[in-house]
Amino acid sequence: EVDCVYTICEIMCLEPALNCCNEDVTVFLYLRDSYRSVMEFGEESSPAVAFGKDAFELTVEDVYDISYVIGRDLLKISSAGEEVSDLQFKIVRVLEMLETLVNKYNLSLEELKMERDNLKRELDRVIKESSAGQGTQTAGPNQMVVDLTDPNRPRFTMQELKEVLQERNQLKAQLMVAQEELQLYKSGILPQAEPAMVEVDMETPAATDHNPAIINDPKDEKTTIGRL
Amino acid sequence: MAKKTYDLLFKLLLIGDSGVGKTCVLFRFSDDAFNTTFISTIGIDFKIKTVELQGKKIKLQIWDTAGQERFHTITTSYYRGAMGIMLVYDITNAKSFENISKWLRNIDEHANEDVERMLLGNKCDMEDKRVVPKAKGEQIAREHGIRFFETSAKANINIEKAFLTLAEDILRKTPVKEPNSENVDISSGGGVTGWKSKCCS
Repeated sequence: EVDCVYTICEIMCLEPALNCCNEDVTVFLYLRDSYRSVMEFGEESSPAVAFGKDAFELTVEDVYDISYVIGRDLLKISSAGEEVSDLQFKIVRVLEMLETLVNKYNLSLEELKMERDNLKRELDRVIKESSAGQGTQTAGPNQMVVDLTDPNRPRFTMQELKEVLQERNQLKAQLMVAQEELQLYKSGILPQAEPAMVEVDMETPAATDHNPAIINDPKDEKTTIGRL
Repeated sequence: MAKKTYDLLFKLLLIGDSGVGKTCVLFRFSDDAFNTTFISTIGIDFKIKTVELQGKKIKLQIWDTAGQERFHTITTSYYRGAMGIMLVYDITNAKSFENISKWLRNIDEHANEDVERMLLGNKCDMEDKRVVPKAKGEQIAREHGIRFFETSAKANINIEKAFLTLAEDILRKTPVKEPNSENVDISSGGGVTGWKSKCCS
């Protein structure tokens, strides 16, 4: 039991338990008391404050304060004999257990906080990476990550764009034909019954023949439109 | 027989890097106007302009392509139908000049073999910002056996001349069917034969 290393808790409680009421010990305790109140707690707070604390807010230092106060009080009744001495050892044991529990609790709390902070940082990093469109982990060199919340994200295929453009150009050509026709009617060149033939050849890319002078007939135009 | 407002239809195509002024060149030619705000062409667009050459009304259907690489698959599918292609670069943009060979390769790959080509060095009004000497443009055009003009859509320099020249070049090799001499090709050196066959039949 007698170990060379004592916890502060043990020292504080065992001192009075030594049954010594000689002056040295009294002076020692007094000096330490004064030192503590000045250096650690300031002038107004005292070790007894620890008793008023919430159990979950206790630090190991608070436990030492509690030990100190209990030790000091035990010293006052230490003359009472063996029963008190037994009680002192039990109290020391309980205080040791309290010290261990508080220590462990605070350590676990610290560990959990660190883990939480690490996870937060990791989450931030992952979010930043994915929103920046970097996505080096998920996308290959020829792939890109699309932010689904971006209203300007690409969402049509090249084929769809191609078809829309073809339709736009087809309509534009028809508009031109209509405008030209209207102009002809207005200027009186065309009689009412005769249709104007001013088709624009809108045949796209797939056109196989390369007849430089293309004059469409209505059938061709219709099939072109139908295909589009 | 239906009446038509033109004798021939020529399909032209404008290609070149993004921002060299293809749309502006076309806009100057078709509407005789110029707009300084840059609006990138989406995919492909076209304009129509009817001109008169050698007594013939020629309708020019001019396709304006997007220079951006991402529209490549759309724009290249329009090469095939073109009879004339204008390759435009920007004399204030060295990169656009360096890319000429890339565009020429595109023509080789996607256009008809006998397509008429022309090189334009646009923005020639911006002499203070010029980085491509006119001689370099002339040289590369000579190497590839194609015509070359320096143009300015903004200052209206050589725009109409370029289009008309291209149209003339196409017209020159276009077989024309004369209403009164069917099957006689007067454009390919067969004139005498044509005349003979006509008078001797």
